[in-house]
Amino acid sequence: MSDTHTSSERLGRLQSVTDAALAHLDVDELLRELLDRTCELLRVDTAAVLLLDEEADVLVATAARGIEEEVTQGVRIPVGRGFAGRIAAEKRSVILDRVDHTTVLNPILRERGIKSLLGVPLLDQGAVVGVLHVGTLTSRAFGDADAELLRLVADRLGPTIVSRLARSQNVSTLALQHSLLPARLPTIGDLEFAARYVPGGTAGLGGDWYDVFLLPSGALCVVIGDVVGKGLRAAVVMGRLRSTVRAYALTASDPAEILRLVDRKFQHFEPYEMATVMVGLLDPNDGSLALSTAGHPPPLLASRHSEPYYLDLDIDAPVGVATEAKRRSTTISWPPGAVLCFYTDGLVERRTTPLDERLEALRAAVTVDPPETVCMSVMARLVGTTPPADDVALLVARRGAVAGKSPLRLTVPAKPASLRVIRSELRRWLSSVGAGTDAQYDVLLGVGEATANAVEHAYGAAVGAIEVEVTLDGDDVLAIVRDKGRWRPPRGHDRGRGSVIMRAVSDDVRVRRAPDGTEVVIRRRLRP
Amino acid sequence: MSPTVATVQAETRHGRVLVSIAGEIDLDNADVVEEDLVAAIPNDTHAVTVDVNDVSYIDSIGLRILFMLAARLRTAQIEFSVAARPGSLARRVIDLSGLAAVVPIDGETSGESEP
Repeated sequence: MSDTHTSSERLGRLQSVTDAALAHLDVDELLRELLDRTCELLRVDTAAVLLLDEEADVLVATAARGIEEEVTQGVRIPVGRGFAGRIAAEKRSVILDRVDHTTVLNPILRERGIKSLLGVPLLDQGAVVGVLHVGTLTSRAFGDADAELLRLVADRLGPTIVSRLARSQNVSTLALQHSLLPARLPTIGDLEFAARYVPGGTAGLGGDWYDVFLLPSGALCVVIGDVVGKGLRAAVVMGRLRSTVRAYALTASDPAEILRLVDRKFQHFEPYEMATVMVGLLDPNDGSLALSTAGHPPPLLASRHSEPYYLDLDIDAPVGVATEAKRRSTTISWPPGAVLCFYTDGLVERRTTPLDERLEALRAAVTVDPPETVCMSVMARLVGTTPPADDVALLVARRGAVAGKSPLRLTVPAKPASLRVIRSELRRWLSSVGAGTDAQYDVLLGVGEATANAVEHAYGAAVGAIEVEVTLDGDDVLAIVRDKGRWRPPRGHDRGRGSVIMRAVSDDVRVRRAPDGTEVVIRRRLRP
Repeated sequence: MSPTVATVQAETRHGRVLVSIAGEIDLDNADVVEEDLVAAIPNDTHAVTVDVNDVSYIDSIGLRILFMLAARLRTAQIEFSVAARPGSLARRVIDLSGLAAVVPIDGETSGESEP
């Protein structure tokens, strides 16, 4: 029994490969070292490890000793075929004492002059992850004892390889994630951004991402998404999806249309994947934000005027699930000073806490503070010291506040051609303070009627000047139209209508008539 | 200083004249728009629709044209309607002016005028 004793002693040496001394080796180096020791232990000439590529259902030569060309030539053996393929398919050891084209698929083994082969499956938690095989250049009758010993080696190798691979995949995934997230978020106009990405703990890295970029049209595109699945694969799919969204954002001008195109591409080229994505397009002229969501949870809006609330969006199907899914966009007004908080479900989903509670906690954590501050507060309150199981992505954006926004002051000749100039300046000013469409129309109409009246009636034959001053007074737009003429009651059949319209579109109108001129003061609330 | 511009285009569909106005109408160009509009309507027609959906600004001065047209077409016994989408500036000012009391207002040009 001295032979068995020697074997177990040798096995002990092999066992040491999982020890600290080899901990620094990468997967390839580790495998080479392990194969060296395996050759020594079993007194064989060749050894090889093939790992299972589950997606393709093939075994890929990953490390080899004595038959190195297996690796350099990228040998791939379909599961179920040939020597290694049989071992993986049948999940049992196979001994070959005749190596030719009837028993071995891989010509390298034959050309090398291998006479006998013994192979065992590599298992991790009962599942085949690859094949380990050894061979001799002289005929050797491998017996049950050899197979048993190789199985013992494989038992140690399997989990070691899997955990090492997982670790190195994690490093790659993290590197990929980092390369795909914007290194620096843009500062565009009066918009500020801040973001966080925290890789998932127990469940591993995933496919969460966010993206912020400017389009040639001047519109700003904001994207957040989550590819279903974990690990390197989810991150790679995410990378492709991110590029797809960017590409279609260049050609389509509506978020729902972008997602429709993205979905079509995704379903054709990644038929087994699924993802949630939200795309937002911000029109810099009027601060309107068009949003479309493919199964992604709606963002939270916090402003000085109301309690933070989740936007009421039409949530359509995730991408990758339904052909020609209905896609809808919702346009919201993003008020100046307001904060929008986008997130992935890793932030709000916890197995131990109901979703509603988590959403409520997020609502309580989002304030109108600078985005960096909001990110810190959200992460502190929702993640704290417990590493999240799932990925967490958080993107916070704030429009500049209008406090201190300079008033609009215009002095124009009291001529019909001036009216257009006033409107054009007024439109620009109104959008800069974040006035919604209705408020814009009403202020345009109110000021339009007042100025048209001044042009028609203030000066008679002479051409004087009209002054227009528009300011923000709290949440109100205050527009003052002045002329230096003598006020005259409106004339003509239909002229009373202008005054009716001016009053109807305003919350308050005051007309001050003095011998040296007329002043009309119009007040209109910016938001309902 | 470029003038305020509105374009007026007319076409006949199934005996109905559809006049589409695009641009802005104010004190500066109201007379021109009125002339163009009147010229676009042949007197042998039975029905006229004026579509203001592409009008980005119109106030009481522009409405004066529509009121005037309503009165004239009534005299001429020509059916008249206005197309203005809810939510637009034109619709807002039309609703405030009471034009709907004398002219039917539709959102889009009505289906019967489609070819």
